[in-house]
Amino acid sequence: MSLIIKNLSVNLRERQILKEISLEVAPGTLHAIMGPNGGGKSTLSAALLGNSAYTVTDRVRGKNKPQILVDNKDITGLPTDMRAKLGLFLAFQSPISIPGVNVANLLKTAYQLSKEQRTKNHSSRHKEGLRARKDQKKLHNPALSVWEFNEMLVKEAKKLSIPQDFLRRSLNEAFSGGEKKKLEMLQAVILSPKYAVFDEIDTGLDVDALKIVATGIEQLKKKKTGVIVITHYQRILKYARPDFVHILVGGRIVASGNRNLAKEVEENGYRKWADNN
Amino acid sequence: MSQVAIQPNDYKYGFKKPENYIFKAKKGLNNKTVEEISWHKEEPYWMRDFRLSALKIFEEKKLPMWGGDLTHINFDDIYYYIKPTEKKAKSWDELPEEIRDTYDRIGIPEAEKKYLGGVSAQYESEVVYKSIQKTLGEKGVIFLDMDSGLREYPDLVKEYFGTLIPPADNKFAALNSATWSGGSFIYVPKGVHVDLPLQAYFRINAANMGQFERTLIIADEGSFVHYVEGCTAPIYTTDSLHSAVVEIFVKKGARVRYTTIQNWSNNVYNLVTKRMRIEEEGVGEWVDGNIGSKLTMKYPSVYLMGKGARGEVLSVAYAGPGQHQDAGGKAIHFAPYTSSKITSKSVSAGGGRTSYRGLVQVFPFSQNVKSKVVCDALLIDESSRSDTYPTMDIRNNDVQIEHEATVSKIGDEQLFYLMSRGLKKADAEAMIVNGFIEPIVKELPLEYAVELNRLIQLEMEGSVG
Repeated sequence: MSLIIKNLSVNLRERQILKEISLEVAPGTLHAIMGPNGGGKSTLSAALLGNSAYTVTDRVRGKNKPQILVDNKDITGLPTDMRAKLGLFLAFQSPISIPGVNVANLLKTAYQLSKEQRTKNHSSRHKEGLRARKDQKKLHNPALSVWEFNEMLVKEAKKLSIPQDFLRRSLNEAFSGGEKKKLEMLQAVILSPKYAVFDEIDTGLDVDALKIVATGIEQLKKKKTGVIVITHYQRILKYARPDFVHILVGGRIVASGNRNLAKEVEENGYRKWADNN
Repeated sequence: MSQVAIQPNDYKYGFKKPENYIFKAKKGLNNKTVEEISWHKEEPYWMRDFRLSALKIFEEKKLPMWGGDLTHINFDDIYYYIKPTEKKAKSWDELPEEIRDTYDRIGIPEAEKKYLGGVSAQYESEVVYKSIQKTLGEKGVIFLDMDSGLREYPDLVKEYFGTLIPPADNKFAALNSATWSGGSFIYVPKGVHVDLPLQAYFRINAANMGQFERTLIIADEGSFVHYVEGCTAPIYTTDSLHSAVVEIFVKKGARVRYTTIQNWSNNVYNLVTKRMRIEEEGVGEWVDGNIGSKLTMKYPSVYLMGKGARGEVLSVAYAGPGQHQDAGGKAIHFAPYTSSKITSKSVSAGGGRTSYRGLVQVFPFSQNVKSKVVCDALLIDESSRSDTYPTMDIRNNDVQIEHEATVSKIGDEQLFYLMSRGLKKADAEAMIVNGFIEPIVKELPLEYAVELNRLIQLEMEGSVG
């Protein structure tokens, strides 16, 4: 039971961006992926969610087959919405604005969809024995009523110090950079995905906002969400402490380690790996 | 205008016709057809003469060539008057399958479905109508179908009918003037505020959905009324031509809002002339939604006649495969210190075509005029089309005129964002479209807004599927 990325190579308009990335994210763990600009960090997040602008390539057919598995289910060829329903979430680096679509409505729709799918999954697993059934009971949270949902939404928004009237405004329209990032965090908390990718959630945040967002990440971890934090800087990792740190340079993971690796980056930058590449 | 005594008038013209008389005029249009229509409706002679002179104008006028393609209308192949009961499909099963299917998917109750499909008149609404009539009557408000209006208040009708949109206005206004049937007649006395929207839907009279509806609304000084007509569910009709005329008089300090949602089946030409005459300090608002039809040509107009008059046109159009929505608005500033706003939102999908066509006109004697036109078009795919034909005729320098136009496409990044939240592609598209038209939809009565959003969702599923 993990998010497993195997030999993932990805092209954007005929150009290879990612080269045989492999990574395993267990529930409740936090992985930080650090790297310089142009290293392929955002490509990784887009490819995980199946953005159709990116193509997963299979250079060595049969041998090192690229694969993305969510709890043993191969999602490599699935459309984006199916991946989301299976429990993947992406907090966007630059969340796009959509006029007239309000945050509360989108979240309610997304929340209902996620519950539908997970209830389905659990019932199909019915015969897996007692232990599975116990897990199922714990995880099986039948969708809340509209009233209960709104209550939860307001409560979680408050925790992230998001003013309530934001929830009725058009998605990301006339929001500041920091406000957009907080809204991404709010969505993650509400949808409570199995695996969440935060693409530069720390960019453009002041210290207070950074702490709030980090608290959100910790909250998800406690609820057993496997988290990938993509970032340039060590800053956020002081508040949301990673279990693993990976360095992504030139489309490859060139080093993996514990949080000391992040400190090393902070002191010496990425030059060391850039030279080797 | 002079004061008019508002008293129901006893029937005093022509012959009394037997009950349950079924009449169907022959196909095609000539003096005899028009005379027969008037005779069967037991109209006063002035109305018969009005119809006949309108027919002459209709015959003389050429088809307008500046808008949608009208060349396929065969005027000889139309029944110009059928007693409404004859128009209904005889049973539910006679309705085309896609219409029945849509009703099911929107989730309309059975009784309402039959009513919309023309199978039966709705029983409950008759009860509602009667109770509304009682409340309105106490305030002196008249709310009738146009035929009854003419019968009961001939003097009042005569004073206004055809004065704002004369038959010579355009070929289809002439056609309507010659052949009209049904529509609404509303009079709101001085200072009376009608709190609930008046819905044509409640007016059970089967003349409701005529081909050539004629509506006349008079809001006397300082009064207020909101009139709502149409519905979001597709209206099935075997008639291929719908040509209505709506005249609205907004007196000093009065306010009228007229909301229409129309979703004709895709074989219909929907050619409508709508105009409001707004006096000093009056407010007139059109909220106009067009979803169905083969071709719609409709440009609700505000004629700002007195100092401080304000007019607004909000229009939303959706054109799917094979459809052309040619819609917009007109604001004519006949007086100083008048203001107008036209907001148009159009969506084209699956090769559909939308056009914005508008006019803002300011006369030399109209100083301190403000006008703003905003037209936004959204294209769902490459094969769809949108055009803008704005006309500005400004003959005064002391004015403030704004015009904004945008054309956008549904962006891949927007789709990716919503799909990453678990929405299917079609649902993501519907959400973007509904967001795009939201500024206008929020002006609709709630039940219409909800139905319209669901309908867009169905359309998107269809276009993707």
